[in-house]
Amino acid sequence: MENNGDVQMTAENDDQEEEEVTAQSVLLAIEEAWLNEKFAPEILPHRSDLVDCMLQQIMHMEENMKRLDKEDLRLMIHRMELDRIKYVITNYLRARLEKIEKYTIHILSQEATRSSEECYLTVAELQFAKEFLTNIEMLFKTIALQHMPGNFQTFEVDTLTVKPNLQTYVFLRANDRINGIIVPGSMDEEIDLEPGSQHIIQYSAVADLVKSGAVKLI
Amino acid sequence: MDPCEIEFLSEKELVSIIPNFSFDMIHLISGSVGPFRAGLPVKVPIWLAVNLKQQQKCRIINQDWMDADSLNEAKEEEKLSKLFTKMPSNHYMEEAQLLLNVASDDISDADRIKTAIKDIWDIRMSKLRTSIDAFLKSEGLHAKLDHLTAMEINSVRPLLPHALDQMLRIQTGGRATQSHYSGTSQ
Repeated sequence: MENNGDVQMTAENDDQEEEEVTAQSVLLAIEEAWLNEKFAPEILPHRSDLVDCMLQQIMHMEENMKRLDKEDLRLMIHRMELDRIKYVITNYLRARLEKIEKYTIHILSQEATRSSEECYLTVAELQFAKEFLTNIEMLFKTIALQHMPGNFQTFEVDTLTVKPNLQTYVFLRANDRINGIIVPGSMDEEIDLEPGSQHIIQYSAVADLVKSGAVKLI
Repeated sequence: MDPCEIEFLSEKELVSIIPNFSFDMIHLISGSVGPFRAGLPVKVPIWLAVNLKQQQKCRIINQDWMDADSLNEAKEEEKLSKLFTKMPSNHYMEEAQLLLNVASDDISDADRIKTAIKDIWDIRMSKLRTSIDAFLKSEGLHAKLDHLTAMEINSVRPLLPHALDQMLRIQTGGRATQSHYSGTSQ
């Protein structure tokens, strides 16, 4: 199906044709990533590949829209669609920022153990997290710590760490068939997920499946 | 999640409209729509249908399942069944709400459809509350939620997972004290 941001109906070359195939699937993937991020207690591996690709599509579309007549019906329709997509993207990024602000120390310490290929944060997010932590520390020091007696003046990272509750319950729908998930807290009780079936279960039991895309949170 | 976000998701579902204008195919990022031919039905996402309707550029054809008689049948089935029956759409409530709001003049029997959907919703919600109660009392750790729709799941989201979280805390807390207790007494 043809579906990229091309307002003019001509597909100029084959490369573009290929892009057209993926635009829709990228959008679906972003929407899934958005919901997963929204409902997962911990921060998930970043999908900047999807975000960057979609932002490019949006820019491309906006360029094309400039060529349209103000009265053109398409202008309004494309604008509405872009607004919807931008909403999903901003909401996705914001959900991640919220988690970064909440679990800063925890996320940074976890991130330090990951190699650059498997890191969960984008470069910009990592920088944000570090600056956020520095600012918090500065705030603590200027407001309170410096007025304390000497042995209370240290900024104790360990006591300030907030960790996400991975045992929280989540709703999910299975994308693939999955066998033998062990229900946490039970006596070796196992469940199988049929594709398309819906469940509520502890996040920790399915965290890896969320990250691999075998299930999606709903 | 905010109910309007569930509605936002439901607006991606397709609905048939009869445009009163003609236009070539439009290539959206989410897929192509059209071509539009005045007087001929065409499938578009609900967000587009609602917008075109508001500009009086189309009539909305009701979803196949939004028919008072078949909904009433579904209602009877829902009443008789112990389990949740399969709904015609994962967003039946939102779709009905959106379409009936904007296109009640295109949809015959709008009032009866509205009542039937509201009844189905009420039956299912009370079933959901009963089963949640039973689930919590049985101290279950996992539940299958097939055929529950997006809005129904969202309506119990603040309560059910939170209740389970708290139960887990009490249990693990209890276990920790117990082992601590038995540990010190030895």
